[in-house]
Formats: sequence, structure tokens, C-alpha cells
Amino acid sequence: MENGLIDFLEKNSIYIVMFIILVVWLGIFLFMLSTEKHLKAIEKELDVNSSKGKEN
Amino acid sequence: MVWKTILFVLMSFVIIAGITFPIVPQPKVWYEFPIIPGLEEKAKIIFFHVPTAWLSVLAFLMAMIYGIKYLRNKNIDDDLKSSAALQIGMMFTILATITGSIWAKFTWGSFWHWDPRETSIFILLLIYGSLLALRSAVDNEDKRASLSAVYSIIAFLTVPFFIFIMPRIMVGLHPGSMELDPVTGKAVQGTSPVIDFKMNANMRIVFFISLFTFTILYFWMYQLRYKTLIIKDKISKKII
Repeated sequence: MENGLIDFLEKNSIYIVMFIILVVWLGIFLFMLSTEKHLKAIEKELDVNSSKGKEN
Repeated sequence: MVWKTILFVLMSFVIIAGITFPIVPQPKVWYEFPIIPGLEEKAKIIFFHVPTAWLSVLAFLMAMIYGIKYLRNKNIDDDLKSSAALQIGMMFTILATITGSIWAKFTWGSFWHWDPRETSIFILLLIYGSLLALRSAVDNEDKRASLSAVYSIIAFLTVPFFIFIMPRIMVGLHPGSMELDPVTGKAVQGTSPVIDFKMNANMRIVFFISLFTFTILYFWMYQLRYKTLIIKDKISKKII
């Protein structure tokens, strides 16, 4: 079974390219998700700080 | 969260379909694309190159809209949103130029030809590049915002002309340009995929999914970018 898949990929190398680009896309996607998470945390912190500043 | 899942799934589909769906003379099953004369196997660039050009138009349009908004309300957040759109638009314009140039090497023979399409995108890069230079040259925040808003409005007026009109009314190599008739020597409507859409229905669907997916990706990138700019602005004001 495994040999069959490897044979198939060796004959049709465009699928290897496809898998590589899918992995790159997954990486970019996860990076953007984590960046967004960080940004939200910073936004929250800034809001908390500014409301504290107003109270004082 | 839902639209991010949609984005991930659709973009994966576009990558799979765009790269691996075979191009054959007579498509028989749904996943086969027809041969477009002059493009052949390289027609697959459509799914990746056209969306980058489309996103640069969209981004510059949004830069103009937020420029107008700023001039109305004088809210600095609108200027930051305009700036974010501008930066992303510039990035996608550069990407469209590079991807087109690589394609040109293998279709036309060299990386750069000064084809009407290439010339017009080069002028666009100059126009928006100078806007970025202008922004970085003015220190006063309000002055920078008003100047940039007015410039982005005027600059966008040239975009439809350079992207949609000029390359189509001039004789050129890019799909969609006019062509010289070999018999009469006059410029005639080109036999190109852009004008009369030689894609079959399935290829067109994948193409529109690709445009849609890249648009979602753009809005996400844009959101991240302007949030960063607004946070940066808030922090710098606190420090001062």
C-alpha cells in the first residue's frame, strides 16, 4: 500500500508540490491565527490600562 | 471563527484544484480543465496571479474610502485604516508584478517586456510608492493624514484606467490586450481568455472561488494590520 503511494507520487510529482504548498499554507494560516490572538491580548491589556488611568 | 474555517478549507481547495487538476484538450470529467490557446499548462497561473491583482485594486479602493472618511470626520483611526489598506495593496501589487513576470519569462521569453500591462502596473507601483514615501516624510500626524487621504483619492482615480482600460485598448501580449491582425495590420479584439472567457464552467467556478477566498484572506490581513497600527498609535501617544 505504502509503496503504491510512493510510486504514484514519484510518477506524478505535481502532487508533491501540492502537498508542500498545502503545508506552507497551513503554516501561514496558523501564524496568522496566533498573531491575531496576541493582538487581542495586547488590545485587552491596553484597554484595562487606559481605564485604570481614567480612574486615577 | 466560522469564516476562518471557510477560508482555510477554500484556500486548500484552490491550491489542490489550481495545482493538480489536469488540463486536457477535451475535458470529460468535472475536474479536468480545457486547454486555453496560448496559455496551455501555464493557465493555472490564473488561480493565483489574477487574485493578487484583484486584491491590489480592492486594497487601493479601501485606502481611498477610508481617506474620504478621514477627510469627513478627522478621525485618526480612519487614516490608520487607509494606511493599512495601502500597505497591503502595495504588497499585492508587487506580488502580481513578480508572478506575472515569472509567467512572462516562460510565455513571452523574457521577464520584462514593457508590455502595456507591465508598464501600467509599473506606473501604479510608482504612484503608490510615492504615496508611501510621502507618508513617511511628514511628521505631523494630522497633516500626514490629510495629505495622504487626498493623495489616495487622486491616485485611485488612475487605477481603473491603468488596470482595466489601458491594457485592453492597446496592442500587447498580455491576455486581454488588443492584437494586430496579421492580414490588415490593424488592432483587433484579442482572442484572449480574459475577454471571451475560454474557461469551461468548472474552471470558472474554481476561478471565482479563488477570487472569493483571496478576498477573505485580504480582509483578515487587513484587520490584523490596522489593529497593529492602532495599537502602535495608542502606545506612542501614551509614552509621549
